[in-house]
Amino acid sequence: MNDQAAGNAKRARFQALCQALRPDLLRFAFWLSRDHSVAEDVVQETMLRAWKAQDSLADEAAAKPWFLTIIRREYARTFERKRFDTVDVDALVASEEPLLAAEEAQDLAELRRAVFRLPDDYRLPLVLQVLMGYTTAEIARELDLSNAAVLTRLFRARQQLRVLCGENTRSDPE
Amino acid sequence: MTIVCAAYRRSILADPRDADLKLRAHRDSCAECAEFSQRVARFESRLARALAIDLDAAAGAARPFRARRAGSGYRGAGVGRRGWMALAASLTMAIGVAAGLWLAAPRASLAADVVTHMAEEPQAWRSTDVPVSSAALGAVLHDAHMRLTAKAGLVSYANSCLFRGHQVPHLVVQSDGGPVTVMVLVHESVPAEVQFADSGYRGVILPVPGHGSIAVLTRGAADRATVERIAARVLGAIVWTA
Repeated sequence: MNDQAAGNAKRARFQALCQALRPDLLRFAFWLSRDHSVAEDVVQETMLRAWKAQDSLADEAAAKPWFLTIIRREYARTFERKRFDTVDVDALVASEEPLLAAEEAQDLAELRRAVFRLPDDYRLPLVLQVLMGYTTAEIARELDLSNAAVLTRLFRARQQLRVLCGENTRSDPE
Repeated sequence: MTIVCAAYRRSILADPRDADLKLRAHRDSCAECAEFSQRVARFESRLARALAIDLDAAAGAARPFRARRAGSGYRGAGVGRRGWMALAASLTMAIGVAAGLWLAAPRASLAADVVTHMAEEPQAWRSTDVPVSSAALGAVLHDAHMRLTAKAGLVSYANSCLFRGHQVPHLVVQSDGGPVTVMVLVHESVPAEVQFADSGYRGVILPVPGHGSIAVLTRGAADRATVERIAARVLGAIVWTA
């Protein structure tokens, strides 16, 4: 009986954790994959894997980076058998246009389309920094890069975004 | 553009939150870099809002654990390789977790929304001894039917922000431990104190009987006791005028 109660409590804690983190995890998976359906699937699979591996999560305060790492691995694993030589960004943008243009001002839709057009190497550190609040050191650790490499990618990412969005870039550094 | 200008601009384009002290000092003495910094801050605010897309709302209340779309190219964890017992165990667990998530509605928590809002105004997080103008502070507080006594300490930033469909006061109060953000959430009630630590921020949301709640958060090394002490101080300094 005690085992059952403990099991129920464990499951309730895990559900609460998933519930709290799910919006951010889904957003992260969406910007990673640029496909809402794939993002939903990756998050679903991530939660199943996390449930099975939850004993390896020593500190619930560190749950978000733990989940994000699983999402990245899960997404990468998804495409181990299905690699595309080229990605048709126009098709990706078109297929998610209702989401990208949802709500709010037109300039946000334009910015979302521009984020879709960033290369993976630039988009991922940018999303980790802006959306997930990661520091440069945390991004470097997550992506196995040097701090300098992360900063260069973040700089290039914003530089490209600003150009794609028609910002005044005359006073930008080279 | 000097070499220092280029270094500063490159630095804030890589991380708008974290230009080092020398480069920030340069910005304060260079009108062109200050103007550039403001443009980057505006762009960053839009970028944060663009990335924080509410996918469930935008997609029309998608379910957390829904059927996979045919042709999405996703094959999951190789269910076909597992035995039927493993499949049954996974499904049982998935149904249990999904039911819990769905019943609880997959919207971001109040604390998560407060933290997300912080990314929209990175320029507010400045350690300074320069108070915001009394006119600006007065206008923000007047709209919220409140005023602050001197007990609150030095207020360096005041803005009326759109948050969950309402204009709310967003203040930054300087403390011994650095800048502290206060959001007065008249339209958001919480049943009890909510502590949170997320994305480098640590904070507390306190219920304010008859006036919703107040969110107080810091970033960096502030501990829970410090946050609670500052929250109590600010709460004690509010005088409601309506």
